[in-house]
Amino acid sequence: MAFNVILEMKGTEAHLTLSGELDAASAGVLKGTVEQAAGNNPAKLVMHMQDLSFMASAGLRVLIFAKQKMGEKVGITLIGCQAPVRSTLEMSGFHHSVYLQDAE
Amino acid sequence: MEPLVLPGTLDALSLIRQFVREAAGQAGLAQQAAYDLQLAVDEIATNIVTHGYEESGIGGDIRVEVDLNSERLAITLEDSAPAFDPRGLITAAARLLDAPLSERPIGGLGIFLTEQKMDGFEYEYRQGHNRNRFIMRRPGGKGLAP
Repeated sequence: MAFNVILEMKGTEAHLTLSGELDAASAGVLKGTVEQAAGNNPAKLVMHMQDLSFMASAGLRVLIFAKQKMGEKVGITLIGCQAPVRSTLEMSGFHHSVYLQDAE
Repeated sequence: MEPLVLPGTLDALSLIRQFVREAAGQAGLAQQAAYDLQLAVDEIATNIVTHGYEESGIGGDIRVEVDLNSERLAITLEDSAPAFDPRGLITAAARLLDAPLSERPIGGLGIFLTEQKMDGFEYEYRQGHNRNRFIMRRPGGKGLAP
């Protein structure tokens, strides 16, 4: 399924809603959207992950990019990751650096 | 299943995953195992495209082959890029897992994800081709006969 991402600013929070499959071919789209979000100097980055069915390490690299681009103080929260995506995040130690939250 | 042969570009990735998904379905792999296999194959295929073909400035195909027996499913990726054994990067990547996000190096992570959840992962360079082979035990399968 094709990857898609929507950016929405809610006050000082940047919200990204991801869907489809995030691989090396589509990671550039997410990276561009993260850059766009960073331009608004958000206090927090919230990523809605419920509809993301696949994430390769290229997606993890965008998370690293987001952290570097927005700075350590900007917390990153991932909401509603599907089990396999969550497993990848945990296996690679990313759950120490981003907040993982269950779906609302 | 007939082998799948695609030009070695990033556009091939989603088609390769779909092919692996079908093979995993035929093998009766559980959902998580099927996902892990897709991820592992995707990571190595990405490596072949970006490092093997694009960085070395040569083009070529990726061939995906399915080999299914009663015990296990084996997927083989074959390419004609310069010889590259991914197994050497796995230990290096594993050592960096505790580094803070902002200090993470870029490479290695995908390959680490590859080996973690496979029942077997093999590499060989033969007759000008890299062959990466991913093995998953089938439900009820006892051993890992080649």
